[in-house]
Amino acid sequence: MMIRRDQARFFGMPRDSFDWTLFLTTCTIAVFGVINLYSATSVARAALSDIYIQQVYWLVLGGILGGVVAVIDYRHYERLGYLLYGVGIVFLVLVFILGKDIRGSSRWIAIGSFGFQPSEFTKLFLIIALAKYLHDDPRTEARGIKDLIVPAALTGIPTVLIMKQPDLGTALIHLCIFGTICMLTRIRWQTLVGIAVSVAIAIPLAWTYLMKDYQKQRVLVFLNPEENLLGSGWHAHHARVAIGNGGLKGQGFMQGTQNQFLFLPDQHSDFPFAVFAEDWGFLGCFVLVSLYAFLVLWAIRIAATAKDRFGAVLAIGVGALIFWHAVFNLGMVTGLLPVVGVTLPLFSAGGSSVVTIMLGIGLLMNVSMRRYWGSPTRTGLLLRD
Amino acid sequence: MSTLLVPRSDVSEFRKRYRWMALVAFLAFAVVIGRCFHLQILRGTEYAQIAHENVIRRVTLPTTRGIVRDAYGRVLASSRPSFNVLLVPGRVMPSARPARRGVKGAEEQDSFSRVADTLRLNPDERQRLAARIRDACITDEDRSPCWRPILVREDLSRDIVAEIKQHASELPGVEVVSQPVRYYPYKNTGAHFLGYTSEINAETLAKYRPPGYENLTPEERQKINPLGYEMGDIVGATGVEHAWESYLRGQRGWEKRVVDARGRYRTGPEAERLLDAPSRQEPIPGRDLRLTIDMELEQAVERAMRPHAAGAVVVVDVRTGRLLALYSKPDFDPNDLAGGAGRERIREAFKKLYSDPLRPMLDKTMSGVFHPGSTFKPFSALAALEDKLIPPTDKERCDGYLTFGRRIFRCAHVHGKVDMREAIAQSCNIYFFKLAESVGMDRIARIANEFGLGQKTGIGVNPEAAGRIPTRSWYALRYKGQFRIGFTLNTSIGQGATTVTPLQLAMAYAALANGGTVYSPQLVRAVETSDGAVVQDFPPRVRQKAKISPENLARVNDALYAVVNDEKGTAFPVRDRTIEVAGKTGTAQTGYVNTGNDDPKKAWYLSRDHAWFAAYSPARAPEIAVVVLVEHGGSGPTVAAPIAMQIIKEYHRQKEARATKLAARETKRPDAKEAPEKRPAPGIAAPAPAPRDPAPSDPTGIPEPSPTEPPPREDDEP
Repeated sequence: MMIRRDQARFFGMPRDSFDWTLFLTTCTIAVFGVINLYSATSVARAALSDIYIQQVYWLVLGGILGGVVAVIDYRHYERLGYLLYGVGIVFLVLVFILGKDIRGSSRWIAIGSFGFQPSEFTKLFLIIALAKYLHDDPRTEARGIKDLIVPAALTGIPTVLIMKQPDLGTALIHLCIFGTICMLTRIRWQTLVGIAVSVAIAIPLAWTYLMKDYQKQRVLVFLNPEENLLGSGWHAHHARVAIGNGGLKGQGFMQGTQNQFLFLPDQHSDFPFAVFAEDWGFLGCFVLVSLYAFLVLWAIRIAATAKDRFGAVLAIGVGALIFWHAVFNLGMVTGLLPVVGVTLPLFSAGGSSVVTIMLGIGLLMNVSMRRYWGSPTRTGLLLRD
Repeated sequence: MSTLLVPRSDVSEFRKRYRWMALVAFLAFAVVIGRCFHLQILRGTEYAQIAHENVIRRVTLPTTRGIVRDAYGRVLASSRPSFNVLLVPGRVMPSARPARRGVKGAEEQDSFSRVADTLRLNPDERQRLAARIRDACITDEDRSPCWRPILVREDLSRDIVAEIKQHASELPGVEVVSQPVRYYPYKNTGAHFLGYTSEINAETLAKYRPPGYENLTPEERQKINPLGYEMGDIVGATGVEHAWESYLRGQRGWEKRVVDARGRYRTGPEAERLLDAPSRQEPIPGRDLRLTIDMELEQAVERAMRPHAAGAVVVVDVRTGRLLALYSKPDFDPNDLAGGAGRERIREAFKKLYSDPLRPMLDKTMSGVFHPGSTFKPFSALAALEDKLIPPTDKERCDGYLTFGRRIFRCAHVHGKVDMREAIAQSCNIYFFKLAESVGMDRIARIANEFGLGQKTGIGVNPEAAGRIPTRSWYALRYKGQFRIGFTLNTSIGQGATTVTPLQLAMAYAALANGGTVYSPQLVRAVETSDGAVVQDFPPRVRQKAKISPENLARVNDALYAVVNDEKGTAFPVRDRTIEVAGKTGTAQTGYVNTGNDDPKKAWYLSRDHAWFAAYSPARAPEIAVVVLVEHGGSGPTVAAPIAMQIIKEYHRQKEARATKLAARETKRPDAKEAPEKRPAPGIAAPAPAPRDPAPSDPTGIPEPSPTEPPPREDDEP
């Protein structure tokens, strides 16, 4: 009887457990994003003026893909976790072979006229792989350093590959997602202290051997923001000026002078928030940041209500993805953090980024819809042993 | 079925973590909102101010420098536009910019080769310019040199400018900027008093804009730099251009414009909205100057001085002290030094001028000091008369020489027995030696000072030299040894340590002519606005009244009249009967000794005496005083005097011509009939050799000094 009812549903989607809150929050942010992109690219940049249209296309594509991802029971992902992860790594390796060189780093694979950035999707594959590992390895006692070796290796492989591209921002996001998921598990405090000490040692080493000059420059600029305003500090300075110029109510839609008169660099990729802040002021910023915060908190809620370990880790992983992207980007634009090329979810223009976030939202929706014990689905039936 | 209904894995491990994570996430976003609050609310006005300054640029509006005119309104210095071409590298040669994602470079075409053709660049220049553009466009970030215009050509011809303007749409990134350049229509004539303009130098600029100037308030800036000097400004360097800079300069205006990050101006309502009042301040044009100089007379002076290499002439109105002509030779063309021609040519012109041994950059009328020679004698004579030491009718015997101790002082001729009048007229040195013996140096110096000799006249244009009238105390300081009577003797005839500037001498002779009033020489008569209204009119300024009794002055004036009009007078041979002149010749020794380093030609030139003639005319009712100095010209009576005569004659001719013209204008109706009748009037003053003119062979009345005949010496030989 129950089975029949379930089978009657389209793809077995439990309609009454559709997560409207998640859906609407995402849509609101996406709509804001498109409107903001219109403002950001509208003036005197004829070559950029169709970016907001492209963004809509990408959102639609991402929405469809996200829907597909949401509909397939996530337990299939658990089953195929390492395979997906492997595919991601293969793409990362392909970047070195086929990659397009843009501004000194190769992150892109060209498919026809579209660029496709594998490192964006790797984040999701990493989340799935980590979730599968933790799902298969339930513990009741605290974990030690040995227990972290496998997840660390899972994270380390894509991170090192991405660092080689080089793409500091994305590599950092990978590490942060890993860190967040580790925090989810119970780790011995001695281990934590050990890790902290080794990180403290690793940072100066990374500074001397791993980081490129331009990356060092950005950190230095962050540490002395008022110095060298015309050089490397230009981005950070003008982003702050644009935000400050917004005031309480903002200059109004498409009225922000710093953007309209080209003072904001990278206004559609890395600094759309500055455009938004200038146009809509503190009130707009408050609403937008609250939406992001709500989205992240909702992801945590989904994780908390997930019915198994895989789902919980998946939700926390996607939540961490959104959280770290948003925090790094907002922190960078407002001058709280050094300038690292991290996109603002659903605000920055870029196909790979948008599709990745939409896929992540799809995963969240997936977990959210299947949070009840008694909600088997048609695809779920396949998993019965 | 049952496997789906029980938890497949235990999530209890994660349970306690969610709350902490939520807290961390919440705090992180709260920090971001807090930062937004900080930037937008707490520091909002500050950043709004910066944002405003980013898009508003205050463009300075240039002012025009005042025009300098002569007494009759002829333009001596004005400004003309010079067209300079600027290129924006990134727009002229988009292909030089690095390729960019998302921006298609193909839509912008290189206009470089067309630009180069239009500017008529040769292959070498073309290559250098292309290299410059590529260097600028290594990056094309906002504010990189790629978007900063570079100066390519200065002072373009109007043809090329017209061509560029016509094809402006096909030449993106090319700008033609018009820049005013100072222009002197009379070129060399009058260059010394007029001066020239040049770009402000670093030293002067540092005085007006000391370090930290940018951080001062507008009031403080106004105090330090009232004229608002900036780098690259054109300022007067010498002469009137320099001395009257604050009048001529004018005041810059400004206008607020809306610009984007690439420095492009934005117009339209959305840009207007951002402009806050006041958005514009009109520039104030510089004041015009009217000089006392009569350029026609100045040109006549230049013509008269043409046969000679170096010298100076001063013509002054004895009734007012206004300078009618001020001429120093050799001169220079201020157009070569005043910009426009380009830096390279200016540098070359300076190099040439400063390496010239005749010192063309020196204004010899007021900055050059010379022995006055016999032109000083009237003042020695006045000293004797004033203190009643020598009765003017007393005669002294001149044997052509005089011995004082072991030294012999010579005279030019054997004059026989001469009284004071004859001594001045014939320029007898012996008479003055004897006079000096009884009068003494200090009395002579006192009289000379009464007439302003040995003191700066206060003309205030070029750096003025004071000259020197020695006194006993000056000698006591200068010479450790015993005071010798020879010093006094030399002083009495304007030699030894006595030096004056031609301007001083002219003012002193003007005072002799006008009954003892020493005027301050006046060069600028009025300050006017650009539409001709007089702002400030300068009346004549009396410097001092010489304390001389009128009868003594009359006696000396009579003697000066005799110099020209007495048959034995030194200037009698060059007398022109159509004009009445009184004056004094001078032949001043230069004291040059060839140490063997100079080549013979140069040594010959330098060993020649300076020729002087100081005069005023008409002798009975004087109007002008003229001082002519021909450096190393030889004898005063034969070299300097004819020049002065020519100038005086020219002055009277011009005066008459002006009077005729004025009369013609007043009787306007019968204009056509009157004009031909009046025409012969100037002809009367035209050179017509008088029957008694000693040089009838020379129709111009200028006897050239013949090099074979040694000039008569009238000075002592130490």
